[in-house]
Amino acid sequence: MSEKQKNNARKNSLFQRLFGGKQGKSIFEEEQVQSPSKTVLKNFISNKLSVGAVLILVVMFAAVFIGSSFVTLDLSYAESSQQNVAPGLSLLSVPNALKENGASLSAGSTFSVGADKDGNVYVWGHPDISKTISMEQIPEDMGKVTMVSAGYDHAIAVNENNEVFCWGNDRLKQCAVPTQDIASHGNVVQVLAGYQISVALMEDGYVLYWGNAALNDVMISSEVQGTIAKVALTSDALIGLTFDGEVVYLGGQKTAYSTVPESLKSGVVDIAATGSTCAGLLENGEVVVWGNITKSEGTVPAVDGKIVSLVGGRYHYVGLTDKGSVVAWGDNTFGQLKLPSSVGEGITQVFSGFYQNYALDEDGNVHSWGLKGYVFGTDGLGRDILTRLVHGGKMTMTIGAIAVVISTVIGIIVGCMAGYFGGKVDMFLMRVAEIISAMPFLPFAMILSSIIGNSLSETQRIFLIMVILGVLSWSGLARLVRAQVLSQREQEFVTAAKAMGVKQSAIVFKHILPNVISTIIVNATLSFATCLLTESSLSYLGFGVSLPRPTWGNMLTGSNNSIVIQNYWWQWVFPALALSICVICINTVGDGLRDAIDPKSNER
Amino acid sequence: MLKYIGKRLFYIVCVFFIISIIFFFLYNAIPGDRAMMQIAHLQGKVSEEQFQRMYQDVRNQLGLDDPAIVQYGKWMGGILTGDFGFSTFYKQDVIDVVVDPMKNTIFINVFSVILALAVTIPLGIFCAVKKNSAFDKGVQVATIVGYSVPVFIIGLVCIFVFAVKLGWFPVSGMGTPNFQGTPWEAFWDKLYYLCLPLIVMTLGSLGGMTRYVRAAMIDALGQDYIRTARAKGLREKVVIFSHAWRNALLPVVTLIIGWFLSIFSGSLMIENMFGLNGMGKLYITALMNQDYDLAMAVQLFYVVISLVGNLLVDLSYGIVDPRVRITE
Repeated sequence: MSEKQKNNARKNSLFQRLFGGKQGKSIFEEEQVQSPSKTVLKNFISNKLSVGAVLILVVMFAAVFIGSSFVTLDLSYAESSQQNVAPGLSLLSVPNALKENGASLSAGSTFSVGADKDGNVYVWGHPDISKTISMEQIPEDMGKVTMVSAGYDHAIAVNENNEVFCWGNDRLKQCAVPTQDIASHGNVVQVLAGYQISVALMEDGYVLYWGNAALNDVMISSEVQGTIAKVALTSDALIGLTFDGEVVYLGGQKTAYSTVPESLKSGVVDIAATGSTCAGLLENGEVVVWGNITKSEGTVPAVDGKIVSLVGGRYHYVGLTDKGSVVAWGDNTFGQLKLPSSVGEGITQVFSGFYQNYALDEDGNVHSWGLKGYVFGTDGLGRDILTRLVHGGKMTMTIGAIAVVISTVIGIIVGCMAGYFGGKVDMFLMRVAEIISAMPFLPFAMILSSIIGNSLSETQRIFLIMVILGVLSWSGLARLVRAQVLSQREQEFVTAAKAMGVKQSAIVFKHILPNVISTIIVNATLSFATCLLTESSLSYLGFGVSLPRPTWGNMLTGSNNSIVIQNYWWQWVFPALALSICVICINTVGDGLRDAIDPKSNER
Repeated sequence: MLKYIGKRLFYIVCVFFIISIIFFFLYNAIPGDRAMMQIAHLQGKVSEEQFQRMYQDVRNQLGLDDPAIVQYGKWMGGILTGDFGFSTFYKQDVIDVVVDPMKNTIFINVFSVILALAVTIPLGIFCAVKKNSAFDKGVQVATIVGYSVPVFIIGLVCIFVFAVKLGWFPVSGMGTPNFQGTPWEAFWDKLYYLCLPLIVMTLGSLGGMTRYVRAAMIDALGQDYIRTARAKGLREKVVIFSHAWRNALLPVVTLIIGWFLSIFSGSLMIENMFGLNGMGKLYITALMNQDYDLAMAVQLFYVVISLVGNLLVDLSYGIVDPRVRITE
């Protein structure tokens, strides 16, 4: 045989080993006997349903175990402005009519408001505040709108005739515009919509506000009233910039914002505020940040040029330089700092609010970046459902898998021992198994988890759940293994092994066990499904893994009321779907395996 | 047969005592001083000396200083004479708290078993007879879904469809608040409120049960006597119902009893979801509020139900299959 042929033959056999292709053998050579595992595999693959289930499972496992390392989970995270957001990625989808014609934009909690150069107002994002209130109920006859501002759940617009319009949630009178006061102070130069409050700054330096001034610490002393050139709202306080370039706190209480840094007493050209910090911009382009700095809002990056104007989002600042470029710093959870490549130069104005950012260039083109939305929506605390789903799945599957391993190991050992040794050992072990199986599972797991679990840390509690599930569910497998071992014990190969003087433990675990392994595999697959279900039930009832650590079960805990079921369907549909699909697939695979191993059961 | 029943009874009683011992030690493993809990509200209101004396009295009364075996004896004696202790949450004797929920739970479970059987038996038989037809395959897929989906998800979906979207049934509760009417009307009102929970429970148990019935029926239909019966020229109806079904009934009966027990755990979820005043709801309330006397009583109820069920399964096996009696 030449070298080339040899090589070819080797290649072929490697290919065959990997992919199992058939070489054209003559009928006399053809191998007739197949190894049992090959038969099982062939049977299994011929079952389309099971193969499909395996594929879905693999995808789910990958999504859960690999995906969880890409999306980080912050257990203490809660964001009141992002509560109950419906699934969708429309937060930044600026209407086409506005895209190349923008004049004034403003980003609210989950919606944005914009006015084009012709004075038309547009709303996009998730405009539904409640069942009856929608931000899309824009007041009619607003005329040519020049200024807009969007807040937590309401928005303000000012038209060219100096009329102020307000719409959205009016529960705390944040939409009750004091028309007469406004008329008596001349032109409106700035409007701000905040959390339950609205602020209007007049031409003569007078600040008007309406809404809930108790939650928001707003109390403007007569000394500064009439000298204000610009205002900025945090989530609960108001600061102002006087005509003289001094930053003043416009509230009565002592808070983190009330002590304005010394350097901001003069020469300030712009102010801005995030949810919990305030910032002042000095003439030389330096930015000074004070307040409750939690997400590195105070770390201003090196800037090419000089910052000339400043806006603030929820936990980040965006600055505009004298060269028309944009710089952003602070929190980057939703990509608020990831500027699109189109935002290079020639930007004239930037607008930030919460997690959305918009920039206007010289031609009125609108560029946007930041939070696009949530693929699966958010829950009642503003947490992203997708993140929780991925991490919850990892937790649920890990607990299920370890519980199955525990129960399978106990089941095999007990079953083998009882079956092989028989007599008193069998009697004793089987009575123990019966006692375990006589205990009602769910109530018993609940009382164990509540009695033992009270004094444990979170991780210990998770281990406890695994152990409870494992220790309480081995009896079925033990019986099955025992029956199998009993039938194998009398076979000739066991007698032969005995005659050769093989140790008893070796006979049980090395000679008999491999013959019953198929039963064990099928059983383990099916009990994996059961463990997932039990863990979810326990967590759903509040006796499993405790919140805020997510599992598929406890993500459904809050959904048991008609408001959530009806209005926030995404909060229960996605975890329920994930859990159901996973368990259905595992059961299908288990059934398929059983059919493949024992073709007789196919006939049923 | 009598000897067999006696043996099983004796065995069940033994198991009950072993489980109760396990529970008793679990119960005592709960951190916290029960005597202190009972009189903690008096602390500060009476003098320190008086308080200490009262504390000691309560300790003696509860027998906390006795050796463990004596404590167990007292506790078991109390339970056997119907004294389950005092519920700290409801401020009532446990036995008074438990009666109403127990009636409700048993009612719900029995009712849903009957409903489920009324659906699964005809469906299972039909699927077995029309084995591998499109209908059968559809049902097979549906049953996998049925026993894979946890009952609380079925509950959520049913609430969404029937209570929220269609508005046919109330979302939760056991009856219209302040309902006035004849007892007959009150019964109908209660039944109206229980409709949705019953539907959910029935749906939850359809999957597994249909598969059992189908498998048993296919087994029976594969027997030689069926071929003989057909060869005799009997009508297919007679073959199926008189020859096959009667034989398939035996494994089904034993399974039904075992399954009847498992749904008590399921009713725990349902009662919690729909706010029904049953044992499951009571159990969760007791555990959440650390009312362990009550939790123990409910737990023992579940154990007794499960043991009685096991006994019935054993006995029915004995009746169905005489070989069991001989080997045991």
